[in-house]
Amino acid sequence: MPKPKILVVDDDPDLVRALRLRLRANNYEVSTASDGYAAIASAQKDRPSLIILDLGLPVGDGFVVLDRLQSSDVLSGIPVIVLSARDPQANEQRALRAGAAAFFQKPADNDELMNVIRVSLGPETAQPRAAWPS
Amino acid sequence: MDHQATNVLLVEDNPGDADLVRLRLVEGQADVRVNCVSRLSDGLAFLARETPTLVLLDLNLPDSHGAETFRRLMEHSPNVPVVVLSGQDDEVLAMKAVHHGVQDYLVKGNISSKNLERAIRYAVERQALLRALEISQKQQLDFKNRFLSHVSHELRTPLTCIHQYVTLLLDGLAGPIAPEQSDHLKTVLKSVNQLHAMIRDLLEATRAESGKLRVEPRCIALGELVQQTIAMLRPTADEKKVGLEIGLDQRLPLVLADPDRVLEVLINLVDNAIKFTPTEGSVMVQANMVEADPGFVYISVSDTGRGISPEAKALIFERLYQDPDSIDNNRSGLGLGLFICREIVRLHEGRIWVSSEPGQGSTFSFTLPVYSLGKLLAPVITHENRLRTSLVLVRVDLTPLSNPPRGNWKETWQQCLEIVQRCVYLDKDLVLPPMGASGAAETFFIVAATDLQRSGIMTTRIREQLERVSDLKTKCKLTITTVPVELPSGHGDATLEQQGENVASSITRMILTTRERSQPGPGKRAKDSN
Repeated sequence: MPKPKILVVDDDPDLVRALRLRLRANNYEVSTASDGYAAIASAQKDRPSLIILDLGLPVGDGFVVLDRLQSSDVLSGIPVIVLSARDPQANEQRALRAGAAAFFQKPADNDELMNVIRVSLGPETAQPRAAWPS
Repeated sequence: MDHQATNVLLVEDNPGDADLVRLRLVEGQADVRVNCVSRLSDGLAFLARETPTLVLLDLNLPDSHGAETFRRLMEHSPNVPVVVLSGQDDEVLAMKAVHHGVQDYLVKGNISSKNLERAIRYAVERQALLRALEISQKQQLDFKNRFLSHVSHELRTPLTCIHQYVTLLLDGLAGPIAPEQSDHLKTVLKSVNQLHAMIRDLLEATRAESGKLRVEPRCIALGELVQQTIAMLRPTADEKKVGLEIGLDQRLPLVLADPDRVLEVLINLVDNAIKFTPTEGSVMVQANMVEADPGFVYISVSDTGRGISPEAKALIFERLYQDPDSIDNNRSGLGLGLFICREIVRLHEGRIWVSSEPGQGSTFSFTLPVYSLGKLLAPVITHENRLRTSLVLVRVDLTPLSNPPRGNWKETWQQCLEIVQRCVYLDKDLVLPPMGASGAAETFFIVAATDLQRSGIMTTRIREQLERVSDLKTKCKLTITTVPVELPSGHGDATLEQQGENVASSITRMILTTRERSQPGPGKRAKDSN
């Protein structure tokens, strides 16, 4: 079975390196991007199974990325986990409403993060969207 | 005085006094406009339209007397300088007015154009200074709060990096490590976690100070929160060989409180208690009812530590308080934890205090209001000494179409709750506080003093308003159901109060039976990794 591919989007190269190591150790394939534009380009090219997304990014912040992913038919199904140093009180709800599957504030608990990645990759996230009942 | 015309509002009901003051004003200053009214209500109406340079205020008016007069005026227009016109036998009251913030007073009968002009000039100057001071204080506070939230955000970035690499090494992902190296790394991780907790407290205290700390009360079972706290802190207590016990009153009523915030208070108090308890000591968390105060649940955390001195007791809830005798001073944190606890409890309208004898351990106690459906429902069920003729129970269900695996929808549900609250009649309907911990789905109950047919208007309004919430429509399923509440037909012997209570308990039963949807566990607080 091929390894699930995870796209890590963060502008801190040191953190990206550490996350890559940890994700590889957990049997995931990892690609990375360090700004919003590169994130969209990489998602379109590589079609990752999941995206870990920082909010404060150069060239289109995390919310722009979420918005672009959601408005694309082929990319909107990819679960996005937001991993940001920003205050959850102001950003968690906004991120979830913009389509994120989960919000973690940095520094995040590794076990919890890995758990949510596993759950998000599971079959339950593949549900199609139902229409609003009239 | 400056070049602008002086615009004076004179509130005086005695025409003779009013004429005299007007005369003195015109004598002293060429460019003065006097607007004279004889009632406080007319004065307030004038102030709603324009901003005069100053108000000259008689305290005894047809529609207001004494201290009430300046209080009402200053509450209405806090930024307009006021000079009180006092009778000769009324100087005590006039001084009281000055203490309350009016700029000056003049005794009627002693008013010359000179001292009137002088009083006005200084009153205006002082008011302007005061205003400038206020603005600058507010700016400083704003700056401090913005600075702190910026700093705590910026500190997280390098902290995250340290955290990631330390855990990489500890987990052996960068090659095997020797036991001694592992010990050292665990010490680093412990410090990282402490730093993390401090950053969190810093932000919380900033919020508390600027009034941005919010509580969203729900109807919750306290026992679950106590169990959760104990489960989270058990490893810390075990490591220190400190016993951790629970003593819960089995018949504890539900409380009206924000579960996340109460958890924060409990964790803080229990964590502190463990910290200040020596090895082989014990910490006990209790919750019970006190007969003399049936409206509240009492929660206490006791330890067998060295206790707190009377001087420290008075200051311990103040922000930045540090115990001067702490053995472990370099690791005692920022001194914000208890301050945050106090603010959270205060927002719940509860009390928090500590009792302690040096050497005998300490007990931190706080209270939370009991959730009483009967009390909440009384004004809806009975009206003008009669039972309502018809009542309807409305249930609004919001279910996300795809479950977020982590994170909660607390903010969204709070926004929805506020919308629902705006859709009902304040005097006839009641939106009940949400039940249980905030989960992936949410249910609101409304008890409405209306019949089934007319409740349709309300449910349509709720649906329309909720559908306007951005993105909610595509992310959530909305279901609204209405059920009539059965009301006692005959009068019987029951008093109105008893009948009301019966209806309240039948509504409670209806809610409990209709609320069978299983809720996921309470919103989990991000736990420090170890």
